[in-house]
Amino acid sequence: MKRSWLPSLITLVVVVFLFAPLVVLVMNSFNASRFGGEWDGFTWNWYEKLWAADEVWESLAVTLKIAVSASLASMILGTLAAYALHCFRSWLQDVHQMLITVPLVMPDILMGMSLLALFVISGVETGLLTIWIAHVTFCLSFVTMVVLGRLQDFDFTLIDAARDLGATRTQSVRKVLLPLLLPGVLAGGLLAFTLSIDDYVITFFVSGPGTTTLPLRVASMMKTSRSLPVINALSTLLIGSTFLIAALSFRLQRRT
Amino acid sequence: MNAESGRSKQWLLTLPSLAWLGVFFVIPCILVIVTAFRPADLQGGVGSGWTLETIHAVNNPAYLPIIWRTLWLSSITTIVCVALALPMTFQMARVGPRMRQVLLLFVVIPFLSNFLIRIFAWKSLLHPEGPLTRLLHWLHLIPEDALLLNNVGTVLLVLIYTQLPFAILPLYAAAEKFDFGLLDAARDLGAGPWRSFAKVFVPGVRRGLISAALMVFVCSLGQYMIPQMVGGASDEMLGSKIAQRVFADRNLPHASALAAGLMLAVLVPMLIVAVWHRFSRKEGAA
Amino acid sequence: MDGFLVIDHVSKSFGSLRAVDEVSLTVAQGEAFSLLGPSGCGKTTLLRMIAGFERPDGGRIIVGGRDITALPPEQRPVNTVFQNYALFPHLNVWENIAFGLRMSRRPREEIRSGVDRMLELVRLSEHARKRPAQLSGGQRQRVAIARALVNRPQVLLLDEPLAALDLKLRQHMLMELNAIHEQVGTTFIYVTHDQGEAMSLSDRIAVMNNGKVEQVDSPVNLYEKPRSSFVASFIGDANFFTGTVVEMQHEGYVRVSVEGLGSPLVLSNGTVSANQTLRLMVRPEKISLMLKRPPSGERVNAFRGIVEDIAYFGSHTRYRIVAGEHSILAQLQRSRFSGGDIDPVRGTEVWMTFHPDEGRVVMLEGEA
Repeated sequence: MKRSWLPSLITLVVVVFLFAPLVVLVMNSFNASRFGGEWDGFTWNWYEKLWAADEVWESLAVTLKIAVSASLASMILGTLAAYALHCFRSWLQDVHQMLITVPLVMPDILMGMSLLALFVISGVETGLLTIWIAHVTFCLSFVTMVVLGRLQDFDFTLIDAARDLGATRTQSVRKVLLPLLLPGVLAGGLLAFTLSIDDYVITFFVSGPGTTTLPLRVASMMKTSRSLPVINALSTLLIGSTFLIAALSFRLQRRT
Repeated sequence: MNAESGRSKQWLLTLPSLAWLGVFFVIPCILVIVTAFRPADLQGGVGSGWTLETIHAVNNPAYLPIIWRTLWLSSITTIVCVALALPMTFQMARVGPRMRQVLLLFVVIPFLSNFLIRIFAWKSLLHPEGPLTRLLHWLHLIPEDALLLNNVGTVLLVLIYTQLPFAILPLYAAAEKFDFGLLDAARDLGAGPWRSFAKVFVPGVRRGLISAALMVFVCSLGQYMIPQMVGGASDEMLGSKIAQRVFADRNLPHASALAAGLMLAVLVPMLIVAVWHRFSRKEGAA
Repeated sequence: MDGFLVIDHVSKSFGSLRAVDEVSLTVAQGEAFSLLGPSGCGKTTLLRMIAGFERPDGGRIIVGGRDITALPPEQRPVNTVFQNYALFPHLNVWENIAFGLRMSRRPREEIRSGVDRMLELVRLSEHARKRPAQLSGGQRQRVAIARALVNRPQVLLLDEPLAALDLKLRQHMLMELNAIHEQVGTTFIYVTHDQGEAMSLSDRIAVMNNGKVEQVDSPVNLYEKPRSSFVASFIGDANFFTGTVVEMQHEGYVRVSVEGLGSPLVLSNGTVSANQTLRLMVRPEKISLMLKRPPSGERVNAFRGIVEDIAYFGSHTRYRIVAGEHSILAQLQRSRFSGGDIDPVRGTEVWMTFHPDEGRVVMLEGEA
């Protein structure tokens, strides 16, 4: 049967639309021209400037500290949550399920605003801790969803088989469930990691003095036109690392 | 396993995430609503006592055009994103597994790339000295003095750009499970390609379609960085006002009242979808 | 009660459904025993109770003289070959087989020799380092058997062992299972819904229906002497007639009047009284078809009918014959009738005959 060319064309247009701005951005990071309107020749200049911008690397350290700790915490909480959601059917899990899904569709500004209200009213100083709490909160739901998907594919007769072969309840979880679930948990963790690194809006609401994460730094750099080409260079590196992490996460989820 | 130990095991497994979300999600949402009835204090915090003042202040006709703009921008974004995502996911589900992974990666990379960077990329693309403006000038498609930035059209364009992956991913999940043999059956029974797409494929992925539309609509409602970065002064959305009240006016109760309104606006479509899901599941079971 | 595996009045309910209802069975050491029945008959629940995945509501399960009813699965001297094999996808063949021995913390050397011996038994030595995903269906099946047998269980449970295989492989694995059983001599309990599988695998079969055991017997007796119409129709094909006893003869023969057919003489099971309403069963292949009326005699049952349908199967031919309101299935090795050399066609008038020993009285449905 002849296939319509229209879906292919739209797919092509969408891919170009999604990537054109990013490609131009990457190209401009090597463009000697300041505004990137035309090609003024290849340069490493912006990357050198970026290398010298100490405040960017300080922010990166803050971001990584938060991203690693937030994704670890959300991996643990999310895995427990997914396991509970998968194994039990009760009113408790209905409530649990709702609490997990609503943050997925909650606009960032509301989550940031409500957490800010909590911290202001309870008198907690905004800073690293509050950013970490916020990041764990929005990563938790994503990790749960990824692990839950993995659990739904898990064949629970494998646990029966382990018990049948002499494994205790704990041993069957440790020797069979966890190793098979691990790729899903790691994929969830990687997703949490990228979400945490990229978050701007929520972080902006709950950050305090001295806790400038990388996106916050980028936002303040955007206000001064002098550093615009440096942002191109930084963005190129960030897009590159996102690509690597996404590819890694794909591999993890495909392996069985 | 007896019922007693099963119950305590369930609580043990559920409690960590439930407690976390209770403290850091449910309570904050309630606090936002409560704060709307509190007076502001001068340090940017919340005063004591109760007041309806903020509610009166928010009930201001000056907000009407902003609310209206927020709603129509979100609606158009939703329609365009779904309209693009439907044929795209249809195509993604039809191609071979390798190509499918590549296309999925193409969607995921912009989705996972930093939100600010994506807006920034458009900003430099549409900059008066930027490549797209120059190209269009050179083609004589736009007048010499036309500004591609700082207007409501740009806000819409970038909204669509940032929200498109939110539409593609849930739709793709649904399209992947769709049985394409049904399309052959529809063609075999005399439906043309358009009819079989509209009458068989679209209903087949309607769950994904609803999630996609909900996701895009709700997330668009809360945007404020896009109008701030690529829009003009008159292109603000509701989110912009909330951010302004928090960071410029340092008036938390006023911001809370606006946020509470937005929260209601977000909850309504979510509830409709939840009820619809429950209803359609019952229908499916019968 | 003696016997190696004893199931003593075991019951299990799920909500209001009585899945297993007061079942008692005795299996000898080294026996190959099958639990046979349609889906939902309780056979899988019974198997899961023997393995320890379900706790019975009442009754006892005894293996080798030890009551194991309260033991968790990991402490039972019983291992299972799961329906879809349940091989651990993250472990290779060798590690899968070693799993049980590692759990019981056997010495390294014993694990190695045990696993290698099993690999040889199931002829998979050259695949030891492969992952389950790289194996064929039959190979996976053999890994599952080896993984269970390496622990030297006192009873091996096999849950629908051939269901996931295609027809050709199934017949091959059937022989293989019998060979393995012969070699290791362990008690094998099969669960299956396939009568052919049960008949060719087991020494004895328990036919289950609605949570109860209908009959426990050797394959031959189940086929030749089914006690209930359920057993008769579940194992092979059968023609049933309902009639009234009109004459009691010596040696257990009774004449039964069947409306619209006649009064065949059949062998009763000894519990029949005069004027009783009962059910008769005749297997299709026990019926002969003739074109002319056979010479009448005391011991001949002959009835007239019209050929309604013919289906040719190569090794045999099946005929549907209508007599009055009865529709009777007959199966012949040849495609021609005795007493004539014309090819039978639809509408041919034929005589059906069967020997009184081939007609059996079975219990009415619901009679136990």
